[in-house]
Amino acid sequence: MTRSRLDAPFGQWIDRSESVDIRFEGKTYSGFMGDTVASALIANQQWLLSRSFKYHRPRGPLTLCGHDANTLVQLPEAPNRLADELPISEHRVINAQNYSGSLERDRNQLLDSLGRFMPVGFYYKAFYKPFGSWRFWERIIRRKAGLGVANLTVEPRYTDKQYLFHDIAIIGGGPAGLSAALTAAQAGASVLLIDDQPHLGGSLNYHRFDIDAAERAPTLNHLRTQILDNDNIRVLTSATCNGWFTDHYLPVLQGSRMYKVRAKACILASGSSEQHVVFRHNDLPGIALCSAIDRLIMLYGVAPAQRLAVLAGNDQAYLTALNAHDAGIAVCGVIDMRAACDDANLVTALQARHIPLFSHATVFEAHANSPGHQLAAIDIHRLDSHGAVTEHWTTLACGALAVSSGFMPAYQLACQGGARLSYDDGSALFSLTELPEGMFLAGSVNSIHALHAVLADGAHSARQALRHLGLAPVDSRDDGVSCDVSVNHPWPIFQHPKGREFVDFDEDLQIKDIVNSTRQGYRDIQLVKRFSTVGMGPSQGRHSALPTARLVAHATQRSVSETGVTTARPPVKPEPLGLLAGRRFDPARKTPLDQRHRALNAHMVPAGNWRRPAFYGAPQARDRWVQEEALAVRTNVGLIDVSTLGGIELRGVDAAQFLNRFYTFAFLKQPIGKTRYVVFTNEQGVVSDDGVAARIGADHFYVTATTTGVDTMVREMLRWNAQWRLNVDIANVTSAFAAINVAGPNARAVLDATDCSIDLSNDAFPYLAYREGHLGAIPVRMMRVGFVGELGYELHVPSMLAASLWDMLMNAGDPLTIRPFGVEAQRLLRLEKGHIIIGQDTDGMTHPGEVGLDWAINRQKPFFVGRRAVDIVMAADPCRQLVGFTVNSTCPQPKEGHLVIKAGDIVGHVTSCEHSPTVGGVIGLAYVHPQDAAPDSLFEVRTDQGVSVLARVCALPFYDPANARQAL
Amino acid sequence: MPFGLLKYGLGKDYPFEREPDLPATPTLKQHYDVVIIGGGGHGVATAYYLAKYHGITNVAILEKAYLGGGNTARNTAVIRSNYLTPQGVRFYSESVKLFERLSNEFDFNIMYSQRGQLTLAHTDATVRAFRQRAEVNTHFGGRTELIDPHHIAELVPTLNLNPANMPVLAGLWHKDGATARHDAVAWGYAKGATQRGVELHQLTEVIDIIKEGDRAVGVKTNRGTVHCRSIVQAVAGYSAVLAGIAGFKLPLVSYPLQAMVTQPVKPFLDPLVSSSALHCYVQQTSRGELVFGGGSDPYPLYNTRSTLELKESLIAHAVEMFPFMSEMQLLRQWAGITDMTSDYSPIMGLSPLRHYYLDAGWGTWGFKATPICGQTMAELVANDGKVPDLIAPFALDRFDHFKQVNEMGATAASH
Amino acid sequence: MKILHCPLNGPRNISEFVYGGQVKPMPNPESATDTEWAAYVFYENNSIGVVREWWLHAPSSYWFIVERHNGSDTILRTYDPSELLSNPGMVSLEDAIQ
Repeated sequence: MTRSRLDAPFGQWIDRSESVDIRFEGKTYSGFMGDTVASALIANQQWLLSRSFKYHRPRGPLTLCGHDANTLVQLPEAPNRLADELPISEHRVINAQNYSGSLERDRNQLLDSLGRFMPVGFYYKAFYKPFGSWRFWERIIRRKAGLGVANLTVEPRYTDKQYLFHDIAIIGGGPAGLSAALTAAQAGASVLLIDDQPHLGGSLNYHRFDIDAAERAPTLNHLRTQILDNDNIRVLTSATCNGWFTDHYLPVLQGSRMYKVRAKACILASGSSEQHVVFRHNDLPGIALCSAIDRLIMLYGVAPAQRLAVLAGNDQAYLTALNAHDAGIAVCGVIDMRAACDDANLVTALQARHIPLFSHATVFEAHANSPGHQLAAIDIHRLDSHGAVTEHWTTLACGALAVSSGFMPAYQLACQGGARLSYDDGSALFSLTELPEGMFLAGSVNSIHALHAVLADGAHSARQALRHLGLAPVDSRDDGVSCDVSVNHPWPIFQHPKGREFVDFDEDLQIKDIVNSTRQGYRDIQLVKRFSTVGMGPSQGRHSALPTARLVAHATQRSVSETGVTTARPPVKPEPLGLLAGRRFDPARKTPLDQRHRALNAHMVPAGNWRRPAFYGAPQARDRWVQEEALAVRTNVGLIDVSTLGGIELRGVDAAQFLNRFYTFAFLKQPIGKTRYVVFTNEQGVVSDDGVAARIGADHFYVTATTTGVDTMVREMLRWNAQWRLNVDIANVTSAFAAINVAGPNARAVLDATDCSIDLSNDAFPYLAYREGHLGAIPVRMMRVGFVGELGYELHVPSMLAASLWDMLMNAGDPLTIRPFGVEAQRLLRLEKGHIIIGQDTDGMTHPGEVGLDWAINRQKPFFVGRRAVDIVMAADPCRQLVGFTVNSTCPQPKEGHLVIKAGDIVGHVTSCEHSPTVGGVIGLAYVHPQDAAPDSLFEVRTDQGVSVLARVCALPFYDPANARQAL
Repeated sequence: MPFGLLKYGLGKDYPFEREPDLPATPTLKQHYDVVIIGGGGHGVATAYYLAKYHGITNVAILEKAYLGGGNTARNTAVIRSNYLTPQGVRFYSESVKLFERLSNEFDFNIMYSQRGQLTLAHTDATVRAFRQRAEVNTHFGGRTELIDPHHIAELVPTLNLNPANMPVLAGLWHKDGATARHDAVAWGYAKGATQRGVELHQLTEVIDIIKEGDRAVGVKTNRGTVHCRSIVQAVAGYSAVLAGIAGFKLPLVSYPLQAMVTQPVKPFLDPLVSSSALHCYVQQTSRGELVFGGGSDPYPLYNTRSTLELKESLIAHAVEMFPFMSEMQLLRQWAGITDMTSDYSPIMGLSPLRHYYLDAGWGTWGFKATPICGQTMAELVANDGKVPDLIAPFALDRFDHFKQVNEMGATAASH
Repeated sequence: MKILHCPLNGPRNISEFVYGGQVKPMPNPESATDTEWAAYVFYENNSIGVVREWWLHAPSSYWFIVERHNGSDTILRTYDPSELLSNPGMVSLEDAIQ
């Protein structure tokens, strides 16, 4: 055991029987199970943990509970981890960050001496003149940015999420939280008690609440036993509640899990952040908050140094001195910034232990030891009646200094919920007001500090929560708890002519940086924050907010109440992205024929959230497969999986009326057994979706839509009918049906070779008809549609029978060498017929007139969605027209997206373009200037590298202008 | 060592006190030539150009909270011009050019960094759209090209090219893409404007617009009444609210837009990277922090609260793109209020009130337009309402005629 | 995560819902001027206050109406769309398209 390690009962959280070694910066240090990296290092007299952000000053722990950024270290897998939160049981190899050379001899500490060349906001005033110099300086400055080094190859570790539901969530397992939990649970509420430390107890674990140290341990044991005994209380330790979201939705991070807690009420018993004192070199390793020193001694059994001094702004600090003394540490003095402490018994207690007391004084400057890595001495100066520094009193040699100037409530969760944090200069009191409904405060977050009052406040807040939940009778005489313990020193800020009195440790900001920001004109506290970056570091203002508010208020002649202190945004503490992401979840929708496609070597591509075959074959030979598949359809027969194309079932006496109002075409008189093209225009008159409607019965339609549009279409249908309230049932049956399109001159022959109950002759089943029947035992809905311009049958069957159908068709078509074709071939085939694809040949402005869909607009009927807007936009002068075009085969082939240029201006673009073996050349669709829309007009397309190509307008369709082939 | 810093360091006094960046809010006069409602980037930029290039300095900027405290403080600082429409690209290209020289223009370092912006395409449809955008941008003199996955891997070696089972097919590589310190843009313009006599009035809220017939003649504020010749409203998320006070409606819907940032790490990512399919974009600031942004909130709200569900989904997508980021830590979330138009283009120019000019509808695309906006709005005001050609397509009345300028494809998750 | 009380399904996480735009009375499509129609298409009530909106509970495909304050995000009430017809401000399509 090193001489820094104290004997039991100090060190309640360590297991002296289990020694653990860690390596920090290449050196080995010995600790115990239960130690954190920080406590183990301090036990070995290693206070120096890091180098500060800007000046690279040596830093050590300030809070020892993960609430400051001085302990940021680098792990092999991750940067920016807090050494005072890392259990040495889990982390054995640790390095420091943000230095050049070594932690002990950081070459960048030169920046500390150059500090005066870097006044606050200096980078806004330099590095950019003459024009062009910033590019040079930026590279250098950028290299110096950042704290730790991200491991760019680390594999994400497993993380997951879980939901919890409780009546009351209590954040903080200290005396207030424990008391609240018991009160609530005993009334029958389901309680979740969350604490970020490994053991319950909060300040009861380390704070000496009274001079005789009589209350702490018995209170802790009593409460803890009761909690563990109570079935209504679930306890989460080493768990951080990192945010408050609407309706008491709380992310609680524990290990590799994020719990998402839904509570009906919340009690914040989250404690308070002890505040530091601002004096020259107040950032030296060895200078820590009183609570940090208490934790070091009580939890880890580590003596902070051989000699400890205490700088007090309140009575609590005296208790730290007493505690340290009783643990066998030499306490060389208590320096009280006040004229006298509130409880005279404390003075007696100090005297009894021969601890010198320096009243109405402060530390004016701290000095480091010779390598500069730890505190060695403090200069004590007297204060006058106004609190201003006067003459030197004495200098004390000490290796550690415990400071406390006050306690700021842990406001973060409350403020995330919309609460306001204010500080009243006169009474030196914080308050949190405008709490969200169902949130209650207890303990020091509520500015209650005396132990008995804290316990009572916990119980009180529980009763408030129970009343809110209707779980307790309304008690009109349940008054709040008051506490007259004063903890906040009004001005613990001591400016030194040579500066380096740190307000914000994270950002290396000293008093003059804050004051000078206001002198620059950044007077609002938010502007000070953005200009100086105060409070924007990892501690997010936990310690810098109050001194900043005080300095800004003073510099702008306002009170702190007027300037405001700070607000809070989630998260409370930095949270690993992996915990936010959780497990990977990338759902993809597969059609029932997915395995058939893969077995045939299909190249699968995303279509919305589906996967569809683009073509069958290796991607490198894409063009070849597409051309072959298309030719097979033109000359023989092919089949394509069109299951994704949406199926919408409409049933009811008003089904036809509904379609009539929804789509542009006419449906009232659509014959049963016929299909009709549907086009949807939105209320801006833009063509947004299309498909086919088959009339199965007088009151029954089956409608298809585009793959990516069907869900939206169904939602829109439902929304319109929520207003029209027509007698029609609308169901999205896309997943219930699979669909296969058999297309090509031999399509009928293939179907004839199956056991088809439908008469397939052209008279009995003409083009655009709809028929129902069976193929073998498979019930089928069949339509003859013309998308690709060949004899074709679209078969819709229940999804579970899709594979059987596919196999049946492939078998029947085998003698004819039927060939599966994919989306790309289909795209080429429909292009040859001049059919548009919504979203490819249309954009966010396309109206029916631009794409030749005038014929699909029925103007006899009184209304359809988009009707008025369509009339308005189509009445205006057209600015573009979609036309078919061809291009000479010697020219570079235009690509989709290439621009159409007229007289040097952009007038349109190519939407589809492909080489067609059937037509024998390159064909496409493009938006051109209306003047150039007539067939045989020429227009300019700008292809890759700005090479211009002349295209010729061609009447549509390119192939089979008589449209005879699909009607065979 | 820059000479300026040397001078400061060796001097005795803190030098900036002699000429602060921002003067304290003066007394509110009873009359100005121009009142600009809104002290964000656009408002102060307009004042700056009025003062410097049109000699109009009798200008008051009225800001209800603190300088640049709205969306100027909250955006993710993406500067680009790789939009879709000719009207948009022409406009934003001018802004990119102004940004390149802005620090020297107003003598304040905005830490402008032209590191290029890369948008990833995961579907064929997106590749097509990107090709069109590359062509339009090139047409107007920008540097934008469609690149293949091989080239993408060279630019961003740390990127996962198959995130969420949606392999990257191509990228829209916009070399002109840049980032800057967004607050500094407002401060630089404000400093330049106030030095030339413009008055910046913070904590001054406009509570009414004073009219004579169909003409705006002044404003009533919480600090007194002001009469003026012209009024510009530039209040971003609150545009519709202020217009309502002025007595007319704007075709806007205000949605929150959330963003978040990690702790700083040593730099490893140069370009700004965006994925259309994953609705997620990432950039590493000059401080080393990673900033994430995504799509707008799912429903309209005049509120800047953050949500857990958006953070979860955005970060899940970010980690898909860069799996090793799972060990980096998120430091802070925030949000702004964005006034969205249905065509994702701004509303600039005349309003139904004479001498009352609009700079609104900036949705999620306003920061990048700050300089060109200031320049054109100043021109508009200086010429007494003659609309500059560059902003004519963004007139309010385009909606009356169904003449939207549709930029939806070029905006989602690429602000 | 905000909770929204669906008239059909009770209190659910708001992520189960889809916002469907404001409830906007449609002017008579036959008699409205082009400008009036453009106003209907592009404008809505966007001042800070109580708005009436369409919301969809996605898992059950159920559309309903929400009255909500768009500043505080307080939900005042949610109800079935059939209540809209009894609202005198709404022009039913039947009346509009004789």
